[in-house]
Amino acid sequence: MENNSIGIGGMEPVARPLLPMFFILDTSGSMTGQPISILNHAMEETINAVRDFAGRNSDTLLKIGVLEFNSQCRWMQPQGLEELDDFIYTRLKAGGMTHMGEALEELDSKLSRKGFLSSVTGYCMPIIIFMTDGYPNDEWEKALKHIETENKWFQHSIKIGFAIGDTADEDIMSKIVGNPEAVIQTSDLELFRRMLKIVAVKSAMIGSQSHPIGEPVSGEKIVEDIMEETGKKVREKSDNGDLGFIMPDGSDDDFWSASDTWIIDENWNDL
Amino acid sequence: MEQKFQRGDMIRCQISTVKVIDWLAEGGQGDVYVVEQNGKKKALKWYKPSGMGKEPQKFYENLKKNCFHGSPDKKVFLWPEDVTEYQDGRFGYIMPLRPEGYYEIGDFLLTKVRFSSLQTVVDAALNIVNAYRLLHNEGYSYQDLNDGNFFINPQNGAVLICDNDNVAPDGENTGIAGKPGYIAPEIVLRKQMPDSYTDRFSMSIIIFMLFCLTRPMEGKRTFEEPRTISLMKRIYGSDPHFIMEDPYHPEYGADENVQKNAFSFWRALPDYMRALFMEALGQNAVQNPDARPPELKWVKNLVRFRSEIIKCKCGANLLVRDGQSTTCSKCGAVIRIPYKLKFDTDHYYIPGIPGTRIYRCQMGICNADEALQPVGRILANPSNPSIWGVQNLSKEQWDIETVGTNKKKVQPKGIISLKNNIRIKTKTETIIIEEA
Repeated sequence: MENNSIGIGGMEPVARPLLPMFFILDTSGSMTGQPISILNHAMEETINAVRDFAGRNSDTLLKIGVLEFNSQCRWMQPQGLEELDDFIYTRLKAGGMTHMGEALEELDSKLSRKGFLSSVTGYCMPIIIFMTDGYPNDEWEKALKHIETENKWFQHSIKIGFAIGDTADEDIMSKIVGNPEAVIQTSDLELFRRMLKIVAVKSAMIGSQSHPIGEPVSGEKIVEDIMEETGKKVREKSDNGDLGFIMPDGSDDDFWSASDTWIIDENWNDL
Repeated sequence: MEQKFQRGDMIRCQISTVKVIDWLAEGGQGDVYVVEQNGKKKALKWYKPSGMGKEPQKFYENLKKNCFHGSPDKKVFLWPEDVTEYQDGRFGYIMPLRPEGYYEIGDFLLTKVRFSSLQTVVDAALNIVNAYRLLHNEGYSYQDLNDGNFFINPQNGAVLICDNDNVAPDGENTGIAGKPGYIAPEIVLRKQMPDSYTDRFSMSIIIFMLFCLTRPMEGKRTFEEPRTISLMKRIYGSDPHFIMEDPYHPEYGADENVQKNAFSFWRALPDYMRALFMEALGQNAVQNPDARPPELKWVKNLVRFRSEIIKCKCGANLLVRDGQSTTCSKCGAVIRIPYKLKFDTDHYYIPGIPGTRIYRCQMGICNADEALQPVGRILANPSNPSIWGVQNLSKEQWDIETVGTNKKKVQPKGIISLKNNIRIKTKTETIIIEEA
């Protein structure tokens, strides 16, 4: 018999590509006290805000992973990334050293299809948000060089860094996210709490909004937009709690005309 | 998140000051507030700096112009009614609030909301096409057509179009390229700025998605390869392929495991609807913006498609071919259609059953403006539902010829019973009623 029915009632939801969002968070001893408390509050608020957006977003399937690092590193969800509805944020505790290199190695191992990037509906480039209040105590440069050169997911991800407090090494964070313009430096913890949420939501929304012609899509662009929206001055080094932020140098990774010469068969670390 | 205004704030506008009542939502371009203006609740869209395009002053002036010219159709467009003053490099505009019962396309795509029937989906598609026909006929183009622009009522297919801030005279541009996934290839390749032809491409994507909750240009390729900028430029710019177009190149096609909706929908579609989607999204349309079907062609085909959908008692939406009786492929029930209506000019049949509508675009040559004017409908006699008739919904009388050369006239709103071999003559077309 000819099939003459169209079963709109039985249709499945639209296939959404995975949008992985990673938070790489410093929980070393220097975060003890108010900083870790504010980080936990900031993350809870951020998760709620991202959850609100993710639940009604038909463009991407947003999943998150939280990696804390101190003298060692630990995933909040060791089984893999989780959808926001399933995600339970466990409050972090501070203590130990700042092994950023170990965190980068761990991130490298999971930034692959054999790791946490499992999807049958495609993959958006990951969003990676780093936060530190100090400087690494381990061989972070070697780990960074490896992930930068060998991991295509890392190379093509949107990376944004938070350098929190007076002792945070902004230069190292700039190297990790690959661009000083994608780093937000502040000693104002309350401002950090608000900014983390805005950065996360803005990053999650980036593929779901209209773009001006010639608009770049990158960590630096997200930071630049947020600076404009919140009225914070660009390029003002923080010495009194204000944001420090370096003016973009005009490099333009044009969304439509980017000379993205990367070839998809080239050197994926998980193939 | 970072709200600019608090309750009670007063914002000066070009026509009349508004008072902020509440914050409503945050979108990509800005925040939306509920405001009060002259005692009426309205919506204020307040732009983020990143949402005003590269030339904010030009964008602002365009908004004022749109406000001055007024809405092409107040029932459909949530059109700018007033524009705020330019404050510290920021501004916004006032528009009507969305009424209850309307949902974003995203809600349909995620199946949080479902259309009440397949006919309702067609009605929504017709309403979208008709709205853009109105807009284009007035010399505008929308320029940023995407899934976030619409609110749809799932019960009746009524459509409201928001975000009319990028609307500009066709040929002028507000600096917005559009939302990835909806932008025509010639914009992605930077050969062309948004215009009414690029609107048509985006509109075709939306219509395909409404029907089968599937992105028509994103097949296997997008599931296997990471969605880098270069991949997405290929998919939507340098090498776009409609996923249902080419069975000989399955690498461009839909994924059978992930995109089941597309296959089941495509298999059930009548040939003329498949041909229309091919014409709108296939290689010729990708390469040649001029080849994309105009709105009137969409309307004619959608109207015919609507006429061929009937609902089985089991609830299945069935497609009837040539107005003939059929058997439900879901439950096996025999669907007996006693009469069919033939249109003399276009040579196709539709079932003559209660609920069938006859539109002006089915009655010979017509202008796009009048395409959706109702001409007639089939209805059951309320006192004896087994007797069916066709009612004249036009403003002109019909000449009726029946077997035995009996002639009579049916005045507007008048009804004539369905019988074999009745010929309904209007000024532009003859409808022939035949036993199916």
